[in-house]
Amino acid sequence: MLDLRVPTGFFFTIVGLIVVGMGVFAPSERAALTDSNVNLYCGLVMLAFGLFMLGLSRFSKHEDS
Amino acid sequence: MKLAVVDYAILAVYFGFVLGIGWRLRKKISTSGDFLTSGRSVPVWITSLAFLAANLGAQELVGMSGNGAKYGIMTAHFYWVGAVPAMIFVGLFMMPFYWGSRARSVPEYLKLRFDEKTRALNALSFAVMTIFSSGISMYALGLLLKLILGWSFTTSVVCSAAIVLAYTFLGGLRSAIYNEVLQFFLIVMGFSPLAIMAVMKAGGWSGMAARLQTMTLPGGLNGDVMTHSWKYVAHTNQNPLGIEVFGLVMGLGFVMSFGYWCTDFLVIQRAMAANSMSASRRTPVIAALPKMMMPFIVIVPGIAALALSRMAVGYALPMKNGGPDYDQVLTTLMAKFYPAGMLGVGLTGLMASFMSGMAGNVTAFNTVFTYDIYQTHIRPGRPDHHYLTVGRMTTVVGVALSIGTAYVAQYYNSINDLLQLVFSFVNAPLFGTFLLGMFWKRTTGHGAFTGLLSGTVAAALTHGCTLAEGKGGWIATIYQFPSPMAQNFWIAIMAWTTCFIVTILVSLATKARPETELHGLVYGLTELKHDEGVSWYKRPVPLAIAIAALALFLNFWFA
Repeated sequence: MLDLRVPTGFFFTIVGLIVVGMGVFAPSERAALTDSNVNLYCGLVMLAFGLFMLGLSRFSKHEDS
Repeated sequence: MKLAVVDYAILAVYFGFVLGIGWRLRKKISTSGDFLTSGRSVPVWITSLAFLAANLGAQELVGMSGNGAKYGIMTAHFYWVGAVPAMIFVGLFMMPFYWGSRARSVPEYLKLRFDEKTRALNALSFAVMTIFSSGISMYALGLLLKLILGWSFTTSVVCSAAIVLAYTFLGGLRSAIYNEVLQFFLIVMGFSPLAIMAVMKAGGWSGMAARLQTMTLPGGLNGDVMTHSWKYVAHTNQNPLGIEVFGLVMGLGFVMSFGYWCTDFLVIQRAMAANSMSASRRTPVIAALPKMMMPFIVIVPGIAALALSRMAVGYALPMKNGGPDYDQVLTTLMAKFYPAGMLGVGLTGLMASFMSGMAGNVTAFNTVFTYDIYQTHIRPGRPDHHYLTVGRMTTVVGVALSIGTAYVAQYYNSINDLLQLVFSFVNAPLFGTFLLGMFWKRTTGHGAFTGLLSGTVAAALTHGCTLAEGKGGWIATIYQFPSPMAQNFWIAIMAWTTCFIVTILVSLATKARPETELHGLVYGLTELKHDEGVSWYKRPVPLAIAIAALALFLNFWFA
């Protein structure tokens, strides 16, 4: 059975990388009402979540999910 | 709002994953049960998040943030009063019968417990309702994308419907459920940064509260009402919703929310797909936890938007025809806070919420049609692969009908209102029927059927005799409600009470079924397994107590 944590993990890792990439390579992209690098921080959170999901699926292979 | 290449790239990655999940799951399907009920083998964390996500449509995201700006934190009553108690109840007390009876759908439970006519009534009204609600939400999405991105209505409706069709056709209910979980995560990831940034910009919760206190709302109320959920409910003229505490608790908290969460197959189907009785009972209970957090993502940004519009930061509420256009609060906030990149994530989240809602409708529709209408009334007794084919065909037909409905809704706006009204008439009494059916063994099929019909009539009569903002009163105006919401609550109360009383009276006058036929269907005649020896968070009851305590805390904190 497909372990849903794998596609979820890959999806957020990829999206996280894209958004972090925007934060790093286009740091001047700012929306009207913010002064912070929104892409960088949000991207890092998504990247971390994606890797966490992938980690979970790796370390609990024996469990049925 | 203008999207950059990177935003389209994120949208494309998302579509790729959604279709990929459907493609990977296509091989698991060999029977109609695999396709329509996912063979009851889905892990509990997945069913729980799907239970929540199937209900979390695009209209909820857009509508609830608009309501936040319009009515304030009182909108959270739809979660903390109008959802969490009912979700805990259905998990603890009703899932044992839904799951334990081995019924494949909610109408099928009615057949097992009562008779064929009660099932047919429920199956037909449910099938029509799901098609129209998915069509109406498709219409709402098409309209929104046209407005903010300038996409053509037809392109956005047909493309998003085609993707939903592809993954539900390939992988059936399991594919819909798996994707709903991905969609749920995306909604949280896409919208919680917006909530955090909007609230911070508006000075935090206390800053917002202080600022709103100084303003007067349309209608002369003080803005303090925007940040208190219980302080102003003693009388209808104290709050912008026009409701008071009895109508709120009885109408919304009891009849309407229990009527939806405990009987609507769209959500129950997810809990029925769980891989054990304990898992099916925990599904709605666990789902209640993220559900009670949703107001922070969907309502609070709306309140922040109102506060921001009072500050000199360059944010104004979107306007339409001289009044605020609350449906655009969420998207204007996105445009003001998200740069290219996160904007793509937010927009993908919006598309995801639409798809999860639509897939929920489609998978519930094909199951009810295949098992409760086709197999029962049109072609009974065929081999299983016949029903698998019918299930797949119904998926296609369901999506096509929804697209048709979206166009009908585009041309005849008033049809929406009419249909929503009819649904509320049909839905309101249902919980009375289920409550009696599950907890009183004397309830009979004739009682249930007449109760349902008379409850529906009572709902229509209440609507016909009362008036709220020019709605209703098509018979005579006996009473005038301060708001349509108060009217809805009272329609539900009248319908439920009528159904409850009529069902009892008719049941007492008709012959009861022998107890031997009711095992596994009624409380008292069903063996309830106690899960001793597993840790508390794996048992439904302790879990429910913890979650109820948290919901109570939120109610007090924001009172």
